[in-house]
Parts: sequence; structure tokens; C-alpha cells
Amino acid sequence: MKKAVILNLSPRKAGTSMMLANRCKEFLSARDYLVEILHLYPNLKDLSPLLTAINEAESIIMVGPSYIDTYPADTFYLLEELEKNRDVLHGQDLYGIIQGGMPYVHTHESGLKMLELFAGENELSYKGGFVIGMGAMLNGQPLDKLLNGKKAASGFEQFLKNVAKQESSPPSLYYHAQLKMPGLVYWFMATLMNRKIDKDRREKGIGDQAKSPYDNLGIN
Amino acid sequence: MVTILSDHTRQEVGERLDSKLRERKIATQFISLTDLNVGPCYSCGGCTDKTYGQCIHRDDADIILPKLMRTDVLIMVTPVKWGSYSFKTKRIFDKCAIIGDRHYYCKNGELVKGRIGQVHTFVAIGVKDQWRNDEKNVFKNLVEENIKIMNIKGSVYMVDDSNIGTCLESAVEGLSL
Repeated sequence: MKKAVILNLSPRKAGTSMMLANRCKEFLSARDYLVEILHLYPNLKDLSPLLTAINEAESIIMVGPSYIDTYPADTFYLLEELEKNRDVLHGQDLYGIIQGGMPYVHTHESGLKMLELFAGENELSYKGGFVIGMGAMLNGQPLDKLLNGKKAASGFEQFLKNVAKQESSPPSLYYHAQLKMPGLVYWFMATLMNRKIDKDRREKGIGDQAKSPYDNLGIN
Repeated sequence: MVTILSDHTRQEVGERLDSKLRERKIATQFISLTDLNVGPCYSCGGCTDKTYGQCIHRDDADIILPKLMRTDVLIMVTPVKWGSYSFKTKRIFDKCAIIGDRHYYCKNGELVKGRIGQVHTFVAIGVKDQWRNDEKNVFKNLVEENIKIMNIKGSVYMVDDSNIGTCLESAVEGLSL
């Protein structure tokens, strides 16, 4: 039985990253894999459970959200610590999954490129990844709830097949799956989302002209 | 106001840039990340709910974010590893979303977000001992995506020992002040 470890790089244990991690675990478990999901954030003070699992696995799958166009800061911390403990890295396959609010692949793809460079310098075999847009809107619901649900779910399944076979997964899979709509539709989406933001602010008693709490330099 | 947010680099790139801007009498504030401690964004939703617009966790972002609120030009000086910002730089960048405009806009047929505070120009200066072309491309793409999503002007410089002087000169010349 092959071993795979899925690392949840999101601080949340119940959002879209975890939905994708769970789907990945389910898929691989049905294909003769022993799969473990480990969370980064509860282990930030002591990464040894992650290092042990990585050392024992043949495949590592990193799943996380896109914060300002790449993985969150603490993913960098994990990679730096892995580099310091390089003895746990010995040619394993590395796959990345990144999901973010914007619908475009190009917004989030830098996260995967970082993993590829990391793998190249640290004796891992980078085998590709998958990018999912509008992940924030999903908020943990299955992929088929997306506007491009069918394509996204089918592309992700194909990606998982590649992971199970320990084969390379090409970017064309997630490029093909991304949502493509005319600019006018995005303008309409922006209008609807902005109305919701403004309504939310009003309901919280925050006026449109209210200053940020950080505008007060005396903040402690 | 120009703010330099600088993580430590062997070449002291942030400090040298600060001197150059001050020589030209450009109003500049220099923030060294060396002794500051910014915690992670836990995506807890507090800043969009109970403490709207403010992180519920108290850390040194409370020192940095108010300064960024009064910034027109944000310059991040960061060591680069695997084509990305340093851990310390990214920690504060992740939290900048708190002071960012939450609204969506359309630019060139795509959705984008608004600016951080009143920042109209973002400059990223990545520093390495030696750059490889593939890493240059990854860092450049990342910064260009950042500029695009914030819907502001910006530029990226990749500094090493061979080009530090010319890069800093170009960065100062390129500022829209």
C-alpha cells in the first residue's frame, strides 16, 4: 500500500481547502493508498508530526488558499523548515492545489510555481498542481456548485487520477477548467458583490464613509 | 508619503533606498521588519464581522497598518526564496487585506480588488545573492499579479550584488510623486 500525506495549508479546518483535501483523500483511499490529512496551523509550534508523515510518504499533496495571489505566509515557514530538515525529503512526489476567490488561474498560479522551485532545490519531484478560482464563494461546498462546476469537477478528477498514478499533471487541465465569461458578466458580478458588501456594512452600523480603525495612529 | 517595508537583506537594500529618498527630500518612513512580530492571518472572519476592519489578534501589525494608512507609495524590500516574498514580508502582506478596499472593480475585462489604504503605487524589490532566470520570472509574475489585483500602478526590481546601484536609482527615478 502506498502512502500519501495531504497537508492542509489553510488556517481553516472546514473551508474550501479542506473540502478539496477530503475529496483527494477519498479518491486516493479508494485506490490502494494509505492517506493522512495533517493541518499546518495547529502544528506551527512543533512541525514534527508533519515532518514524520512527509518522511514516510511517497506522495505529498499541499492544499491551501490563495492570499494575495499565492499561498499564505505560513506555507513559506513550512517550506523553510522542510529545507532545514532536508533528511525527510528523498525524492517524494509533490503536488500542489491552490484555491482563491478570483476566478482566474493566473491570479493564483504563483503558488504552484513556488512549489515547483522549492521541489527543484530540495530533492522532491514536482508533478504539477491544480488551481481553482472562486474558492471563497464555495466556502467548503463541493466543486459542482461553482458556475463552472462541471468543468472544474471533471478537471480536478483528472488531476486526482494523475496523483494516484504518480504521473505529472499538466497545467492545461486547470486552464481548461477555469471559468470564462465576457467582461460585462464580471461587471455585473462586481456590482452584485459590492451591493452585498455595502448592505453588510450598513447592517453592522458602519457607514460608507467610516474610517478604518487603523486610521487612528494611537491604536494599541 | 513613501513607506519602505524592509525585511533584512545582507546588502542593506532597504536602508540604502531610504538614504537615497531622503537625499532627494522625499517624505519617507522606513519600517524594518527585523524586530517586529506579525502573527498569521487565521481567516477567522473577525475583521469582516465582530471587529469590522480590524484584526482581532493583537500583534505588531497594529504598528505597521496605521502607517500604511497614510502611505501613497509602498515599497517592499524582501529577500526572495523560490520566487516569493520572505516569510516576514508575506505575513504583513497577508494582513494588508484588512485595510484594503473590499469592493470589486472591473479592469481590462477582469475582476480586480481595490487599493490598500490610499496606496497608489506598489514597488517590490526582491533581493538575492544571485538570480536564476526561472526564479526571476516567478517573482516578476507574482508582483505583477499583486499590482493587477490591487488595481494600482507599480513595478518590480530584482536586485543582486551586480546591479544594486542601478536598480535603486531606477526605483527612485520611477516613483510617481
